[in-house]
Amino acid sequence: MGLLTTVTFLPLIGAIIILFIPKEKVAVIRGSAIFTTFATFVVSLFLYAGFDPSLVGDGVPVMQFTERYEWIATFNVFYAMGIDGLSLPIIILTTLICFLASIYSVSIKERVKEFFFWYLLLEVGMVGVFCATDLFLFYLFWELTLVPMYFLIGVWGGPRKEYAAIKFFLFTLVGSVFMLLAIIAVYFAPNSGTFDMLKLMEINSSWSRNFQIVAFIGFYLGLSVKIPAFPFHTWLPLAHVEAPTPVSVILASVLLKMGCYGLLRICYSILPAGFEWFLPYFIIIAFINIVYGALCAMAQTDMKKMIAYSSINHMGYCLLGMAAVSSTGFNGAVLQMINHGIITGALFLLVGVLYDRAHTRDISAFGGLGAKVPVYAALMVLTCFASLGLPGLAGFVSEFMCFLGAFPVWKMWTILSVAGILITAAFFLRMIQKVFLGPLNEKWADLPDINTRELLAIGPLAVLTVLFGVWPKLILDITNPTVTALAEMHSTIFKYLH
Amino acid sequence: MLEHAYLIPIIPFVTSLVILLGGKEGKDSKMPYLGIAAMGWCFLQSSVLFFRALSGRMPLEAGKEFFLHQRFPWLEWGENLRINVGVLVDGPAVTLLFVVTLVSLLVQIYSLGYMHDDKRKKRYYAYLSFFTASMLGLVIASSIFILFACWELVGVSSYLLIGFWFEKPGPAYASKKAFITTKLADCGFYVGLLILFCYAGTFDLVSLKSYIAQGLLPVEVAKAVGIGFLIGAIGKSAQIPLFIWLPDAMEGPTPVSALIHAATMVVAGIYLVARTYFIFTAAPTTMGAVAWVGLFTAFFAATMAITAYDIKKVLAYSTVSQLGYMMLGLGVYGYTAALFHLTTHAFFKALLFLGAGSVIHAVHTNDMREMGGLYKRMPTTAATVGIATLTIAGLPLLSGWWSKEAILHDVYAVSPGMWVVAVFTAGLTAFYMSRMYVLTFLGAPRNEEKHSHAHESPLTMKIPLWTLAVLSLFAGGILHYNGLFEHLVHFKLPEGSHGSHHAPAYLLPGAAIFVFAVGVGLAYKLYSGSLETAQQLRGKLSIAAETLEQRYYFDDFFLGLVKLSDKLATACYWIDSRIIDAIFIDGWALVLRALAAVNDFIDSFIVDGAVDGVGTITQDAGWGLRKLVRGQVQEYLLYVSLAVAVFATFMLSR
Repeated sequence: MGLLTTVTFLPLIGAIIILFIPKEKVAVIRGSAIFTTFATFVVSLFLYAGFDPSLVGDGVPVMQFTERYEWIATFNVFYAMGIDGLSLPIIILTTLICFLASIYSVSIKERVKEFFFWYLLLEVGMVGVFCATDLFLFYLFWELTLVPMYFLIGVWGGPRKEYAAIKFFLFTLVGSVFMLLAIIAVYFAPNSGTFDMLKLMEINSSWSRNFQIVAFIGFYLGLSVKIPAFPFHTWLPLAHVEAPTPVSVILASVLLKMGCYGLLRICYSILPAGFEWFLPYFIIIAFINIVYGALCAMAQTDMKKMIAYSSINHMGYCLLGMAAVSSTGFNGAVLQMINHGIITGALFLLVGVLYDRAHTRDISAFGGLGAKVPVYAALMVLTCFASLGLPGLAGFVSEFMCFLGAFPVWKMWTILSVAGILITAAFFLRMIQKVFLGPLNEKWADLPDINTRELLAIGPLAVLTVLFGVWPKLILDITNPTVTALAEMHSTIFKYLH
Repeated sequence: MLEHAYLIPIIPFVTSLVILLGGKEGKDSKMPYLGIAAMGWCFLQSSVLFFRALSGRMPLEAGKEFFLHQRFPWLEWGENLRINVGVLVDGPAVTLLFVVTLVSLLVQIYSLGYMHDDKRKKRYYAYLSFFTASMLGLVIASSIFILFACWELVGVSSYLLIGFWFEKPGPAYASKKAFITTKLADCGFYVGLLILFCYAGTFDLVSLKSYIAQGLLPVEVAKAVGIGFLIGAIGKSAQIPLFIWLPDAMEGPTPVSALIHAATMVVAGIYLVARTYFIFTAAPTTMGAVAWVGLFTAFFAATMAITAYDIKKVLAYSTVSQLGYMMLGLGVYGYTAALFHLTTHAFFKALLFLGAGSVIHAVHTNDMREMGGLYKRMPTTAATVGIATLTIAGLPLLSGWWSKEAILHDVYAVSPGMWVVAVFTAGLTAFYMSRMYVLTFLGAPRNEEKHSHAHESPLTMKIPLWTLAVLSLFAGGILHYNGLFEHLVHFKLPEGSHGSHHAPAYLLPGAAIFVFAVGVGLAYKLYSGSLETAQQLRGKLSIAAETLEQRYYFDDFFLGLVKLSDKLATACYWIDSRIIDAIFIDGWALVLRALAAVNDFIDSFIVDGAVDGVGTITQDAGWGLRKLVRGQVQEYLLYVSLAVAVFATFMLSR
């Protein structure tokens, strides 16, 4: 059994084991779940150790750790897996976030067994999406994330959890339907008859532009819901607010990345002419995501909702980088995915810490907490500054590279998007001022500081925020060869841009 | 020493981490001594570099204009793109290293006394070290990108230190205001960086300089980059119209104001323009912009200082005004003069702030109307601040005189009209500075109670005062002697850029001495006795005074902008939740309703008459649909998707 299969299905084994543990033994269930996610994370590090970033060819990406077994012979469906410099960092991010969020999930007190069952199942789907190199398999994993997420929000969520869950479910499902159609269309396209993504990347030059555009739209509708790209983003704030903290973390850190990943892996790689056709609209969507997302965040009074909208803003930077179709932009986008995962994951955990204690997330309900909970305040301020793009912390470099990549191609939209940086700074600083500065609100005079469990979940993310901010090469050295080759892959189509 | 110049920013950075993470917080913390020791080393190393460079004993690299240039790739991507991190040590950098480490060291010593009873002393020193590290990084960076990174970091240190007493609403608000205002300007800097990299493909100062020297950068591009950088400088160096954050920043501890908001961080904008001077000189339009921004700032800030009664606010306006002078100097090709003024200003302005801190420490108020006659109680403070006041006011042969004269000389050469305004501003400076001094130290005590409690500051505060006083007296003269500073900065004017106006030899110094005498005399006459004459005058000119006190309403303008953007944000959120979200819920439901109606129609009018079995099935489906319509809105989504799916499959298979 290959390493990728192990990483993907290890959580499933954990989930099955949990099924056999009596539901009263809460501690055992939690322990096995945390152990499973930890083991998965460790195995994913083996991928990192055995990965050779320099392995790239001309054109189609060179996959490593490949596995390929015939599955449904009639339809030419293969169980095919493989990773390159694009997927590896995201896979490690996924396993890490799942591990840290599972530590935090100890705060879940109800129906613990089911919670962790769905939780682990969700991890299977997420890791699988990033490993699959067969469209059929990809779609299967993609849909596999849907049901656990639905239950995780719908059962363990906040007051409007059912509404949020069904909204999330239907939004994604509708998108998925279009994606499925597009997958089928690609299968029936000339010279095709395969679901093999790598093969499809080669043969697409024989497809007509119009076909590519139609298929692109199908994929884009499915993927853009997940990113989420304007105007398909309205499920996100609600789902984030209602979801329990660990689920919010996974939603923001990993699930959103599935959309961006798919855009690069499928929309751009398999349907370049469709992508090219869409670019002028794409850059506008990126701009809207950035500025409009930031403005919506500024209007919020609920901390969680504010961060949810800031996610829309940050994913806008990813879109901006992708719209560049250059090594700089793509690298920036991938780096931004990772950094956003780390930073926003930490932000949601931190908001969860406060909510667990105060049972409110209203920004104006606090005041002066900085003197009362210094460690918590320090972590929160650090993460907020990372999110608003302070140099030396993770977010800055990736943001900058996205802008740097996009500027030569889309000068006006890029300059306009810079406003997003200012607005982001404004709402984060306002939040810090209202929550931590000023005289202490006596209502919170007994607020305890962050505890060990919470620190265990958040601390590593804070460390990574600084580490990747000071030394982004750690990620860039993995992604760069793949991503540079990716940007060159369809240079004949995109050369007019540069 | 030279080849390890990178240590100068790294040592305080590590120190700040050690102070922050190690040891116990409290007023008995020993950590401040660690900070001082580390800064002592940095000062030592910097002064060795400075004096060796000054005396010509440190050779320039062969055929180059710098002493040392080290770099290594920090980020590499694409085929051959990279961002380097490294150090570039040249004349201006060495000067700034010396100034920054010196003032930082003195301020840290001074703070031992000033922050003696503060319960978060450890954190204070960690922040100070962190600030100094970032500032030194900014000074020494070999790449504009790293300079920008440090630029943001000094901004964040400034944010943390202005808001150091964050329990009070004033500092909490002021820190945010400072950060956002400078961030607004940084957007300009950011765009400048994007444009620059897009065309030149590098951020390295040395490579950029030769790139531009070869004429490879189109003038239009240089202009755009220059304007972008200038906007950044306007924010950081508190030029008009973005100076609004600096007076508020006085909410921070006074030693912090001396270090960050007088001597070092606020000159970062000036330094940026100087560091990228080759871009500005490549596009003469931007030089004009620099000069005008500087002139306006120098003049208007000086007028605002006239009516302020808060001692720190007077100094803040004065800083803004002096920064304006430096900007003006840069704009008229007075590169050397501007950097010279930057250096001397750092000494006397830091001294003024530390002196003001000493006063505030003694009388526990910022309001000069509560002071008066303090020279008896605090002789050291009164003497040293007196020296600084005379220096900034422009008493001939003191430090400030030399540097200001150098700038005025360059201004006259380019435009005698600008020179008139600049000289008039010098007179205003003499007036408001003397006013501050007279109100604080001379005359009779206006608040007996506060006066009787006032006492001279401890030794830790006196040492920095005297050190800076000596520098304020002599540094200018020494650096001016034999063109020492000119030689150090090593600036060659671009061809044909120097102005053509030559003043008669007596005019420039004569005018300067005249406005100095008038300014000082007027201030003494108005303020040495009771304040009644001044109050009457204010009553007669109430509209003008009101305008000045409201800072020409710049704050209101920007607060209006903030309100506007808040409204915009609310509007966006309203659109998001009421319209866009509604489209995907109600809108799709409407479509479904229409579909169901069509289905209903087919159901009752066509299918009913058809074959029984089929009819029944469809009828059932129709009933089902009608039920759906009355059901939950979200379920319509599912239905629509299926319908579209069928439609799309049909389209695709054609």
